[in-house]
Amino acid sequence: MNDTRDPEEAATDDGGALDPREAARLLEQTSREARRQFSLTPPLVTAVMGLVILAAYAALWLSVLGQHPYSGPNLGVIALVYVTVAVGSAVGVKVYQRARAGVSGSAVALGAAEGIALLVSIGGSPVIQGALHYYGASSALVYGVIPAAGPLIVVGTTLAGMAASKSDWPQFGAALAVVTGGGVALFMGPINAWLVAGIALFVGVVGYAAASAWQRRAAARV
Amino acid sequence: MTAEALDPLIHAPARLRIMATLAALPEGVALSFTRLQDMLELTPGNLISHLRKLEDAGYLTTTKTGNGTASRTSIGLTGRGRAALEAYRDALRGLLGGL
Repeated sequence: MNDTRDPEEAATDDGGALDPREAARLLEQTSREARRQFSLTPPLVTAVMGLVILAAYAALWLSVLGQHPYSGPNLGVIALVYVTVAVGSAVGVKVYQRARAGVSGSAVALGAAEGIALLVSIGGSPVIQGALHYYGASSALVYGVIPAAGPLIVVGTTLAGMAASKSDWPQFGAALAVVTGGGVALFMGPINAWLVAGIALFVGVVGYAAASAWQRRAAARV
Repeated sequence: MTAEALDPLIHAPARLRIMATLAALPEGVALSFTRLQDMLELTPGNLISHLRKLEDAGYLTTTKTGNGTASRTSIGLTGRGRAALEAYRDALRGLLGGL
């Protein structure tokens, strides 16, 4: 800030006539709008992501439905899922850049560390999958149960830890739902594991979107 | 309870919006002057004037980094400022409950 007085300063309002009802409305509206702009997980975008994830897992499930012996999802569907992941990541980066523009401080550095932890955990399941393939495990495990359920358990556990450390209870609940869904999917066989995992992710992500929207509204309320 | 119970430093539209915007960030996080100005759609002079009043009261801190055209001012709510906004919110609730 510069130290020179601006002529406009003379025109600054001191709000002597600000009505308490108007003040309450202004406070609520500003708080809600600010929380929306700073949010890394806007409820609407998150809910749409939940639907996209469900569609992707449903496509994977349909591509393996009726396979005997089990060989895994077909390459076309896998490519489609990768495109979906790429688009989702691009949207995530855009949302992050918009929310974090001009924001600085220790909590931002912590957020970056969390992002790295999350990326590492996303890589965890494919590593396990690779090891299982190396040791000659069946296709049902390598291309079915583990890629369907593994990411939910590994990434969900990481997210649950992050959420607990920040007392972010909507995220904590959603992460636990996802981990539980992953645990159930492990025992559903290679075909149905995709469907169960997709439903668990959908419930977790959309539930999180709804809970965080409610929480944001409640926090802004006077 | 009367409107006098409301902290006069916060009970002004522009300053109320500044405080509410900064309080939406977690503790220990600051916002650049430019982003705050964009969000509140205030002129630089107007925003500086209100920030100065709030800073004088210890409700927020401003930090300037860099020099010349690369300089950047960040504004963050202090613990005192956060508590003052919470007290203002409580006073407002009490006042509206009695209306």
